[in-house]
Amino acid sequence: MAVIELKGVEKSFGSVKVIRGVDLKVEHGEFVVFVGPSGSGKSTLLRLVAGLEETSGGTILIDGRDVTNLGPAERELAMVFQSYALYPHKTIRGNMSFGLEVAGFPKDEIRQRVDEVARLLQLSDYLERKPRELSGGQRQRVAIGRAIVREPVAFMFDEPLSNLDAGLRVDMRIEITKLHQRLGATMIYVTHDQVEAMTLADRIVVLDKGIIQQTGSPLELYEHPANLFVAQFIGSPKMNVLPAAFKDGRISINGGVGIEAGKMTGTDVANVGIRPDDIEISPDGTGLIHGKVDVVERLGSDTFAYVAVPGAHAVTVRAPRDSAVAIGQDVGLTFRPERLQVFAADGASLRPRPGV
Amino acid sequence: MAIVSKTANSASFRNSRRWLTVALALYFIYTFIPIFYVIVSSTKSNADLFGTFGLWFSGDFHFWQNLQDLFTYQDGIFSRWLLNTILYSVVSGVGAALFATFAGYAFSKFEFVGKKLSFALVLGAVMIPQTALVIPIFLLLSKVGLVNTPWAVILPSLVFPPGVFLMKVYADDALSNELIEAGRVDGAGEVHIFFNIAFRLLTPGFATVLILAFVATWNNYFLPLVLLNSSDNFPVTVGLSQWYALATSGSGGAVLFSIVMAGSLVSIVPVIAAFLIMQRYWQGGLGAGGVKA
Ligand SMILES: Nc1ncnc2c1ncn2[C@@H]1O[C@H](COP(=O)(O)OP(=O)(O)OP(=O)(O)O)[C@@H](O)[C@H]1O
Ligand SMILES: [Mg+2]
Repeated sequence: MAVIELKGVEKSFGSVKVIRGVDLKVEHGEFVVFVGPSGSGKSTLLRLVAGLEETSGGTILIDGRDVTNLGPAERELAMVFQSYALYPHKTIRGNMSFGLEVAGFPKDEIRQRVDEVARLLQLSDYLERKPRELSGGQRQRVAIGRAIVREPVAFMFDEPLSNLDAGLRVDMRIEITKLHQRLGATMIYVTHDQVEAMTLADRIVVLDKGIIQQTGSPLELYEHPANLFVAQFIGSPKMNVLPAAFKDGRISINGGVGIEAGKMTGTDVANVGIRPDDIEISPDGTGLIHGKVDVVERLGSDTFAYVAVPGAHAVTVRAPRDSAVAIGQDVGLTFRPERLQVFAADGASLRPRPGV
Repeated sequence: MAIVSKTANSASFRNSRRWLTVALALYFIYTFIPIFYVIVSSTKSNADLFGTFGLWFSGDFHFWQNLQDLFTYQDGIFSRWLLNTILYSVVSGVGAALFATFAGYAFSKFEFVGKKLSFALVLGAVMIPQTALVIPIFLLLSKVGLVNTPWAVILPSLVFPPGVFLMKVYADDALSNELIEAGRVDGAGEVHIFFNIAFRLLTPGFATVLILAFVATWNNYFLPLVLLNSSDNFPVTVGLSQWYALATSGSGGAVLFSIVMAGSLVSIVPVIAAFLIMQRYWQGGLGAGGVKA
């Protein structure tokens, strides 16, 4: 268990600033997920914590100890790589023992610890095999096992599931959640899959262009995104964004009639956002805006309708699964006003967050 | 329009295959004739060597006699030469391959000041034939009194720039950075990582460089010719050429031609053996399964 603290951490490659001043505190036993689009600096930030990259500025503390200039070995963290990075010439047992051997543990204890972890991860039958003789999911478990045996102070995961097929990914996700509960260890997990982020995280850190956009619990980010970027990044399907303006104390959406503005921290309204769940399809002529149904996707559990709205992007609506909505139909769209997000021209949210 | 390649049954495929086979067969004959000539000649007596058709065996099988002469002529100095060649080639080969592996790994996996420049120097050095450097090497080594010692051949042969280049390219490809990083996170030091993780995965490259450097030293003629002057230190190449010179100059050289032929044959056998032995280290896919591509 460990507290990991980043203070003003920066990283440049040559003249390119990749991480621009990150402040973050990860508490004991917390599961923190870094999400963000490709190239946002998630891996780089994780590698800075692990000691695989040198910082260009700022400090990193683990349990209050300044580790900024220490190598990965001295930080006593474990890391699970996207490519698994198993030692191909060693057996599974050899892979899991390596760190303990380096640390000079007695043979008996190594054997005992590896056996124990192998049992935990259902790898006991494969200990004498080579990595190439295992399936992708098994290799991933070995990589996790290799991290666990060393009983590190914290775990780093860099997109550990992205090479697995969808079904296995869900299974492993649940395994990792269980593992976190069992070990109670501090974990930092990188993914660009926001579903993974939502399901695993105690707290999500949304990164874009090397800057933390928002930090918070999955529900906080979902319900109170700090800006347009977070709003669109978290949640699937994406939040709908429509142009809007502030007129006479009301918010006019897409040039239509205004609705009650409610509490806001400013009035330079440029966009509103509304999640597909918070829209209802109503007969043509009713509702706040209207459009024509373009595509209907029936997933069984839900039906998604994509409605072309003149002057705006297509609006995604989540309808009940037995909804009768049909392609080509003219419909009205009704929003739940209390769920409406309001954004300024610079993307910042104009809705005060509870407690702010 | 779909692109349809020639199938194995089409006439044009069979036709082009026939021509390619003929071309390759001709090339094979062209390469093999000198070796065949050596094999045939080493079975002939000196008289038959000049009196019978060169590319076929004569009735008189003189091979064992030639071998015996080879190893007894001048008090059996040929075995001494053979041992010298083996010593020089093995030490230089292993040494050069090791250094090339160290250097290639460093060029591939580490950032350091002057990396680009030093690698450019390595590439430049690939272009310079060692022959051009033999005289400077001679002058250097004579300053430190190493001329006419085994070191005079071994030290310069440890420098093998093509090997460094090969190992850099091989390490780029065969050794993922994440594997090294996994080692670091596991707490291993750089030396430990190199010998316990990296080196194992670089073995096929190491074997390639080893055999190339080994053969280069085995066949080296000009360097030992210049740097060695006592017959006891000669490798086979220099020794045999001296006998050959003796034979052509005529003085008592009548018996020598067939011995030189037998000597040539004996001197290529270990190289072929080395190739066969090293073959198993070229097995592909040693790194498979460690990292998902
Ligand atoms: N060693 C490096 N040298 C130069 N630039 C680098 C290096 N490593 C990363 N970068 C750059 O830093 C930026 C952030 O990279 P990073 O790998 O952290 O992104 P990421 O968020 O993990 O993306 P992905 O989801 O694609 O893995 C990218 O623009 C990348 O090109
Ligand atoms: Mg990444």
